[in-house]
Amino acid sequence: MQHFTNETIDLSTLPKYEETPLTHPDPKYWRVIIINLFIFLLLIAIGLGLLMLFNESVSMNWVLWTALFIVFAIFVCLISRASFKRRGFALREKDVLYKSGIIAEKTTIIPLNRIQHVALNEGMFSRMFGLGTLQIYTASGSSGEMHIAGIEIEQAKAIKEALVQRLVINTKAENE
Amino acid sequence: MSLDFSQPQRQSAAGIIINGAYVAQHLVRAMFIPLALFIVKANKTALLYTAFGIIAVVVLAFVYGYFYYLKFTFYLNPLKQEFVIDKGIFSRKHLTIPIEKIQQVNINQGFLQKIIGVYSLQIDTAGADSKEVDIRAINGEIAQALRQHLLHGQRTPTANESDKETTVAVSTDAPLIKITAATLLKIGLTSNYGQSIALLIGFGYAVFHNIKELLKALDNDYGQVEQFVKSGFTLFSIGIVLAAIAVLLLATNVIRTFIKYFDFQLSKHSQSLLISAGLLTKKNTLLHPNKVQITEYSQNYLQKKIGLFKMSLKQAHAGREQSEKEMKNNNTEIPGCSAAEKNELLRMILGRLPKEGSTFKPNWRYLNLPIVFQVLLPVLIYGIFYYLIAEVRAYYPLAVAYFVITLILTYVGYTKHRISVSDAYIIKQSGIWDISQEIIEPHKIQSISTSQYPWHKKLDIGHVSLHTAAGSISFSYGNFTEIKTLVNYWLYQVESGDEDWM
Repeated sequence: MQHFTNETIDLSTLPKYEETPLTHPDPKYWRVIIINLFIFLLLIAIGLGLLMLFNESVSMNWVLWTALFIVFAIFVCLISRASFKRRGFALREKDVLYKSGIIAEKTTIIPLNRIQHVALNEGMFSRMFGLGTLQIYTASGSSGEMHIAGIEIEQAKAIKEALVQRLVINTKAENE
Repeated sequence: MSLDFSQPQRQSAAGIIINGAYVAQHLVRAMFIPLALFIVKANKTALLYTAFGIIAVVVLAFVYGYFYYLKFTFYLNPLKQEFVIDKGIFSRKHLTIPIEKIQQVNINQGFLQKIIGVYSLQIDTAGADSKEVDIRAINGEIAQALRQHLLHGQRTPTANESDKETTVAVSTDAPLIKITAATLLKIGLTSNYGQSIALLIGFGYAVFHNIKELLKALDNDYGQVEQFVKSGFTLFSIGIVLAAIAVLLLATNVIRTFIKYFDFQLSKHSQSLLISAGLLTKKNTLLHPNKVQITEYSQNYLQKKIGLFKMSLKQAHAGREQSEKEMKNNNTEIPGCSAAEKNELLRMILGRLPKEGSTFKPNWRYLNLPIVFQVLLPVLIYGIFYYLIAEVRAYYPLAVAYFVITLILTYVGYTKHRISVSDAYIIKQSGIWDISQEIIEPHKIQSISTSQYPWHKKLDIGHVSLHTAAGSISFSYGNFTEIKTLVNYWLYQVESGDEDWM
């Protein structure tokens, strides 16, 4: 007969996900965010400029519109900075954690034995700074997947390799 | 019967007709409105040409159907345990489906297929578009045998033969759940109001819009339709109109229920559940209990009075985003069953009856956002209009009624929202009118996410979502310390266990 135990679990002794130390994204990633923000705001500014040229009521109140735009730009920058500071991920022995959020603070946890596949995505600006985005997929579709942006590319490759190794071991164990 | 699926074979010869009719039907449907307009406006010679055109299209469709039939082959690769389909006339398509990925096999019979006496067979997999694998014309016997092969080949291939024998014997058993016409009537009268309302609104709008289009096309739209609608309002009192709508609603509900669930039978079929239903088209579904991700049962006030439950078995859908409709297709619904039948089914799917564990309820702040956006904001907007436009002032009793009703509904929703956790099950209760219980087993969890607003940090309030392959289950505004403990516990269960989620 196999060795079998069935002891009561003490909930307070379980490892606590909320106390896991997190790795924050590479500081260089902030520059990528700044570039993206700049492009986004530039497009809005161009749109606003065109409106001012062709729409009389907008060009009359140009001071108001410019002020609104500046307030919006500052607001977006502050929000992005706050959300950048909040981001972080951790690779534990049996799962991956990712914390993010613009207003609400969201933590997603994917157990390693539920990962379907892993992808490494290098965006145009991210590549300029040697960064990558790690995408982890589960069978639950878009709601449960994880996109960890701003990891240094070598590290990202290493993590991906480790996760894929785990996947192979898991599927082997399943087949046996 | 000697049925060998290891050699490539074609569909039943009736497939030529079915395929042709399918293509013709698509073509006609795509051209229906322009064609109808044309026929109404055209003179005789043009009509003649149109008739010839239509005949040509139909003939072409059947020629296409013939070649499609020639080029469509399927076989079962016994060595690799794969089901292979080759199809396509101009661009060939080679589909390979590993048998272990097959979730369910549907055998349906549409109207035309019923006349000819063939069936269509569809294969659902986790991760592929179900439309891809659709054998449109297949002999009934072959379809059943193929289904057995597909669903039981997943077990050890050597046990295949004996397995098949037993299932044939078992399949003659009395069905577990059988819905009579009287029960269907009850179901039609008590459930699915929301869907029928949406259907009626859509239908009403389509009729209104089409009549307008037709009148416009005939160049004599002077707003008769609007006039008619307006005069309708002055003729009837609103009470009669409401009563008529209610009757219409119940009638649509009953008719819909009958069409969809006529002769509903659920039976146990060795390891699987076999469900068949339908008035015009008979739909057969076979599914494995252990592939069900979320088991849901619900009951509203009226159903409670007559002891009727509605159940929904949610299976894994493809990893990518899917349309709402396709998600629905992966849910197998049992429109009505008694408490005993419900328990029997739960026992079959979950192994035993789930019992309530420790219950967690949301904080009263759960009410804040819905009250602001669904109760106060609309009333406020009405208030603004009240001051600006004199005509809307007469409707203030409606606004008061809206305020009271939505307030009560929001509160009811708050009192029903709760989650119950035991070591083997997580049960989420929610709903306002239809109170539903969603049951999942911890090992079906794919990932967990928690979230918290910054202003709830001091209050220790947070939210949690459990993502499964068949959708998510969320619990909002709970005690965040408790939620964190639960999350750690669930993670422990998922990560230490080696139970497969599918």
